[in-house]
Amino acid sequence: MKLKRTIPSIFKLPEPILIVLCNILIFGLAFAMLRLSYQYSLACVAITIAVLLLMDIKGYINHLFSLYIRHKKIAFFSALLCLLVLPILLAGLRYESHIAIMALIYAMVCLGLNFQMGSTNMVNFAPAAFMGIGAYSMAVVTVKLGASAWLGLGMALVLCAFAGLLIGLPTLRTKGYYLSLVTMALQLAFTQMIKNIASVGGPNGISDIKAFSIAGHSLYKSYTLPLLGKVAPHFFYLYFCSILLIVLIYVALRIYVSRYGLALNTIAQDEIAANCLGVDVSRQKLLAFVLGGLFCGVGGALYAGLTSFVGPNDFTFSRSLVYICMVILGGMDNPLGVVVGAFLLTVVMEKLREFADYAQLVYALLLVIILIVRPSGLIPKRVRDYCALFNRRPQQEIEEK
Amino acid sequence: MEMFAGLLVSALLLGCTYTLIAVGFSLFFGVMDVVVFCCGDIAIFGAFSIMGAYVVLMSAGLFNTLPFIVCVALLLLIGALFCATLGLVAYRFSIKPFSHSSELMPLLSTIALGTVIKEVLGLMFMPAVNASASAFGGEAALKVVSGRNPQGFPELLFPNGGVNLRYVTIICVTVLLLLLLFIFLNKTKMGLSMQAVSQNKELSMMTGINVSRTIVVTFIIGGVMLAIGGFLVGSYQKIMSFDNGAMYGAKGFSAAVVGGLRNTWGAVIGGMLLAFVEVFVAGYVANGAAYAGVVAFVVVVIFIIFKPEGIIGEKTVEKV
Repeated sequence: MKLKRTIPSIFKLPEPILIVLCNILIFGLAFAMLRLSYQYSLACVAITIAVLLLMDIKGYINHLFSLYIRHKKIAFFSALLCLLVLPILLAGLRYESHIAIMALIYAMVCLGLNFQMGSTNMVNFAPAAFMGIGAYSMAVVTVKLGASAWLGLGMALVLCAFAGLLIGLPTLRTKGYYLSLVTMALQLAFTQMIKNIASVGGPNGISDIKAFSIAGHSLYKSYTLPLLGKVAPHFFYLYFCSILLIVLIYVALRIYVSRYGLALNTIAQDEIAANCLGVDVSRQKLLAFVLGGLFCGVGGALYAGLTSFVGPNDFTFSRSLVYICMVILGGMDNPLGVVVGAFLLTVVMEKLREFADYAQLVYALLLVIILIVRPSGLIPKRVRDYCALFNRRPQQEIEEK
Repeated sequence: MEMFAGLLVSALLLGCTYTLIAVGFSLFFGVMDVVVFCCGDIAIFGAFSIMGAYVVLMSAGLFNTLPFIVCVALLLLIGALFCATLGLVAYRFSIKPFSHSSELMPLLSTIALGTVIKEVLGLMFMPAVNASASAFGGEAALKVVSGRNPQGFPELLFPNGGVNLRYVTIICVTVLLLLLLFIFLNKTKMGLSMQAVSQNKELSMMTGINVSRTIVVTFIIGGVMLAIGGFLVGSYQKIMSFDNGAMYGAKGFSAAVVGGLRNTWGAVIGGMLLAFVEVFVAGYVANGAAYAGVVAFVVVVIFIIFKPEGIIGEKTVEKV
């Protein structure tokens, strides 16, 4: 009821319809950004950023969030429907599907990074290294050992969790700059190691990585479908990545609203206070690194499956900076914001392929500008609704109690 | 034995280059309590500006009219000027806006600024001197290559003398610079006020020290140190690439951490230690050259875990 007073009169539609319209608008924008030529696509990105900022200033975005939470089933299923329609719209378009998949993969990496950077305020400069570990384990398992890609994914998860544990151990004794230096050292060392180890291809990388397949049908292959005709090879891979991203977003949100997420935020605020409150600081920090590593590992394995080639240049320090930039642009400690940030920057990066020389400069300038002008990002973290998101009962009931 | 001596010399030289960058880190960390991560990039920028100025002076024919040593001094002055300006820019745009926010903000913003510097170098730096062109050559072999390619650094330290003379000069310049810094920090009013600000900002403000001016002066001096550091890196490596900055920055910061972040002498010790580890691993371990950088980082990580205050840093106990 509060809503009707605060939202302008054109929005006086029934709430479920409003949500569906909103979802269609969001996915329509995403499709436009992917489909249009780079001038219009960038214009769409600029408009999106402006609208998001305006909505945040006016406070609409909070209403939108509470609207979504109030009707989460409608919101979820309409969004799912849109997400299922999107690959069909992109069916014959190779490059656009490629951008969409990259956006999904980067979103996974950024979700992982968000556990450390956003929730716990530990800047991890090595997301690209984690992603690289995932991608390389996928490559080694499928190419050198000849096993299936699923085993590669499993291997990527195991190794990334282990790497997260390994890099998490120094964090128990350090924080702030020192921690960042440890992660930075890992990132720089990782790139050097990969370049020097001959059995993983050295500077040449590993090519001909097997794609994922289900019951003998490769997910990355051009099929001829009824109604759609010949689709781009990315068609099923896009579905596959979308499903995985939905699962990962679900996990991330679940953790975010849980006691663990709350504990991570407490550590970010004040480590000593968190300790006094009974938070097991070292366990939580390790958890943040292992979880982040897992997410990055999934992203890396999918990346290797998509490009069927991994080389040391895809997992450098500057790539890590890009992921950090995505997280900050989207909004630290807000899983949905992070996904939005990843999508927007991926579109900018891929659409400006012709100007690739300037890409790094643009990112770095953007990062400085965001940090000065709006350090909280496009969709800042909201006041926590501790039990609203996954509670079965509608929110009003909880409020009444 | 001969190999040992050779390794010793190259470790000393590498240590000199690391040391100057690490000193920049610890100077900035002292007064501002933030890690200025673009130090490496500022140093590389200094080296590149010297290269650019060299080409300009060369084509203006100044090298034929003025004595060689005056020209080199002029080049160094230009490099120092550029780096000092850049230091001030870094302070104004990536440190000052975050003086009241979380300590990680300036870390991120200075890294981003370092990337900006690096990319600007890669995009804008056009004139370059062919590596084989000697400073005395009547016709300088001028060749325009893109800034993204590795650049040959002009031989400005005794181009006609032997390699040894150049190495001795590099070490002497470093020692001289450190001595000057020591005298400045301990004997002049400005240096003493820098130390005071480093120890306690509020208290030094109360005793009448102009804190903001002190900070600005620190950034200028740090910039000059970094410019000379970049010059020495260039003279030692002879080939410079625009993206060396991140590596030198990480090494310099590592050296400062190993030595003790707040302590200028810690930076010297840390720089030397890292350089020795790197060079001797490369020299004595089979196939070690490829892993020298990795080993250096492992040393840093071990230090951070077991002795985060550094070799001669004082242990800080966090108060609630």
